[in-house]
Amino acid sequence: MSAILDIKNLTVTLQQSPGVVPVLENLSFSVKAGKTIALVGESGCGKSMTALAIMGLLPDGFQIAGGSIALEGQDVAKLPGDALRQLRGNRMSMIFQEPMTALNPVYTVGDQISEALRLHQGLSRQTARERAIAMLRAVQIPAPERRIDAYPHQLSGGMRQRVMIAMALACRPRLLIADEPTTALDVTVQAQIFDLLREMQQDIGTAIVLITHDLSAVADITDEVAVLYAGRCIEQGPTATILNQPQHPYTRGLIASVPHLRLGLAAAQPSEALEEIPGMVPGLGKRGPLCGFAPRCRYSAGPCLEAPPPTTGTGSHQVACWHPQGEAA
Amino acid sequence: MSNDTLLEVNDLKVHFPAGRAGAFGQRLTVHAVDGVSFRVPRQSTFGIVGESGSGKSTTAQAIMRLAPITAGNIRLGETDLTTLRGDALRKARRHFQMIFQDPYSALNPRRRAGDLIREPLDLLEVGSADDRAERLESLLRVVGLPPEAAMLFPHQFSGGQRQRLVIARALSTQPDLIVCDEPVSALDVAIQAQILNLLKRLQRDHGLTYVFISHDLGVVQYLCDQIAVMYLGQIVEQAPSAQLFAGPRHPYTWSLMTAAAPPGGLRQSLKQRFSLRGEPPSPINPPAGCRFAARCPFADERCRKETPQLSVAGSGHFVACHKTEEVSAAGRSIMAAA
Amino acid sequence: MNTAPPVPPALTPANETVAIVRISPLRETFRLFVQNPTGMIGACLFGMILLLTLFGPTLYEIDPFDIAGAPFTSPDAEYWFGTDYLGRDILAGILVGGRATLTVGAVAAIITLAIGIAMGSLSGFFGGMLDTTLMKITEFFQVLPTLLFAMVLVTLFGASLQTITLAIGVVSWTGVARLTRAEFLRIRELDYVKAATAAGAGSSYTILRVILPNALPPIIVAAAFAIGISILFEGGMSFLGLGDPNVMSWGMMIGQNRNYALDAWWVVVMPGAAIFLAVLSISLIGDGINDALNPRLRKR
Repeated sequence: MSAILDIKNLTVTLQQSPGVVPVLENLSFSVKAGKTIALVGESGCGKSMTALAIMGLLPDGFQIAGGSIALEGQDVAKLPGDALRQLRGNRMSMIFQEPMTALNPVYTVGDQISEALRLHQGLSRQTARERAIAMLRAVQIPAPERRIDAYPHQLSGGMRQRVMIAMALACRPRLLIADEPTTALDVTVQAQIFDLLREMQQDIGTAIVLITHDLSAVADITDEVAVLYAGRCIEQGPTATILNQPQHPYTRGLIASVPHLRLGLAAAQPSEALEEIPGMVPGLGKRGPLCGFAPRCRYSAGPCLEAPPPTTGTGSHQVACWHPQGEAA
Repeated sequence: MSNDTLLEVNDLKVHFPAGRAGAFGQRLTVHAVDGVSFRVPRQSTFGIVGESGSGKSTTAQAIMRLAPITAGNIRLGETDLTTLRGDALRKARRHFQMIFQDPYSALNPRRRAGDLIREPLDLLEVGSADDRAERLESLLRVVGLPPEAAMLFPHQFSGGQRQRLVIARALSTQPDLIVCDEPVSALDVAIQAQILNLLKRLQRDHGLTYVFISHDLGVVQYLCDQIAVMYLGQIVEQAPSAQLFAGPRHPYTWSLMTAAAPPGGLRQSLKQRFSLRGEPPSPINPPAGCRFAARCPFADERCRKETPQLSVAGSGHFVACHKTEEVSAAGRSIMAAA
Repeated sequence: MNTAPPVPPALTPANETVAIVRISPLRETFRLFVQNPTGMIGACLFGMILLLTLFGPTLYEIDPFDIAGAPFTSPDAEYWFGTDYLGRDILAGILVGGRATLTVGAVAAIITLAIGIAMGSLSGFFGGMLDTTLMKITEFFQVLPTLLFAMVLVTLFGASLQTITLAIGVVSWTGVARLTRAEFLRIRELDYVKAATAAGAGSSYTILRVILPNALPPIIVAAAFAIGISILFEGGMSFLGLGDPNVMSWGMMIGQNRNYALDAWWVVVMPGAAIFLAVLSISLIGDGINDALNPRLRKR
């Protein structure tokens, strides 16, 4: 099966007063139909910028300086604005972190779902409304016939995110980008939303790019993980491999710095000290060609400070590091 | 009150008016906190977990005397905080301080970091001017910031550094109690660990007592000795940390644990039994009976009619549930199978 | 992997600590203001007007009340701005009248701000009954036709420059009060205000040291416009004959000459242009400050 989204050597730069600053460098990954890739990293790592680049929504001053973004073989990075607008909401769509600000408060949710259908699929008002009700039912909103005439503020946070998902999936897009879709929701609701996303994905066969800062929360629904650091992909591979045998010191640190819940018998033991990653992500324009993590890395030595790290690995598991940590560490 | 209890909260209620249902309708009241009692021993950490609307943050604000208290009382050591007013309250504040959730909004953007850290000292007139300058320097060192940081403005710091400033400020008056309201939820994961470790170290070095509010069970388990689980303004389960996570007795605690469990087979089987439908209902005029009944996978007729009382379920373990035997048995069998 | 960085290679410092640059919000705003063309044009224009008003009368030593030549002399080499219906030198009038006009503007604006900030901050901070009472008072002042009200005050207390200034201030503070109240209501809910309370701050400290400095930006902008509006107000009052006849001001010049405007355009156009330029320059400064306080808004 060929990939729905195939990104090769994507480089995004920011035009700043002293010159051009790289934001994303040589990013490559692909997602097949019905599969999910998670982009993981701290804020400032370029996760959201990647999403905006794919959608063609980069803010002013940012531009794609190299590489390609192929959506079913078509390079969207080179498409003019009109053609991109045709794709957005139709063949690719996006859901955001905060559904309250992503939904227009002066239209009913029905209007907002129907709009995409009428725009992209030329449906009549009546058919679009029926499809919108069907979508609300599909995202498990109770009494969709009544809720379709509700305004966003009349719904709870979880409901709003369901509406966002219904909107995003109304045109059965080939690609869905979800930017931290559950961060603003309660923990017991987060699980519901992830379950829903996966069900809808199996139904439609959409490829999903899931942006998150919490790897373990999304582990159940992702197939692959790409860890970003300071605008570069530093480790990539199947979810289970990344979670259980991370090799890059940053990935290992990221996993170890989250306090993992210990249940049952394990709960009786005292907590082990949390591992912390000192310092913070270097700002834009402070990133040289060398490993961006070296200043915070406890293993950095010798070659780390002399040359960019090589990308090594077996099969689908790739890591860009001079000192990848095997099982031993 | 035993000697080693620092904070005692008795039947605390915080109700807010929420307008009327229609122009001439019935008065609406938000029951944000509705009868909460607990004790926190000195130098320990008391965790409060729950979802939005559970009243955990309002409880924190009530302890800080930042929210109006409708009923109940709060004692800090020998002082009844509930009856303090005006200058007496202001003076008492040096003994209890707060760490806020969002370090971006908790620091006045117009003042320098140094002034912000010593503001409590200046306001409460603690020590001489020289003492305060000295104290500022040592506070910065304690939270891991360079002395030059004192001259900067909040916007010149990163999120993690700002939270260090907030912590330094809370420490300045050498309080007995620090109320932490979701102190790491606005921070990046890698930074969260730095702050959590700092809080742990400060507790050890300065003999602090924490009330720690969070929605993240992993964080709570890492830091807390006692944990109370709140739902719609009430404590539904409370136990020592180890005991709670070894075997919760309330279905809501189980569902929180399910959501936070490490990915894998156990999480999947817990989800089968304990995952919840719907969202927390509004705390405006909450329903009769068990407030959790509408979302509870175990609820029956009795739960919808009779309000369960918080009762003893083990040493230091309290639970408010009619079906606690059934719930614990279901949980135990899943944990045993894993 | 081919990395071709467009920037020169530089290692990030280990454990990137705080950058030791002391930028205060005030200085940053000033820097942005200086870089803002609108604001700087306004500032230069206003600077020129101010210099002419301060030093003009000593350089151009003609008494503006003296009859210097024939009435209605059109602008020429001797009388650059012409003479008015009594034959008084208009240029001299403008140079001397600037003092009164600008002083009225500034003092009236200060009164406006003082009343407005006091009402708005008390109302926004304490809320409840006090808020309701103060807002009713504000509404009372708001529904009165301002010009008419000011005229009544001046008629009652006499047309001296002091009463005119006071009247302008007393009728125009409502906007500032509402703005201040809105800012206080917004800022009052922010965590740093709670943090100040938790640190032991009392009401006056919280109002003056915590909330007010953060509420100032829009109020500063409003202050700039208040000066402009006060100058116009003084012009308008004088035009209606309610100016102080003993003090030369731009408004008075227009008021006394208004009947001859169609026959000798310069008698009103010259002082009118002075008012226009002064108000324009102050508005431009206001816009500049506004942009400097909202750098993100400016980029759009």
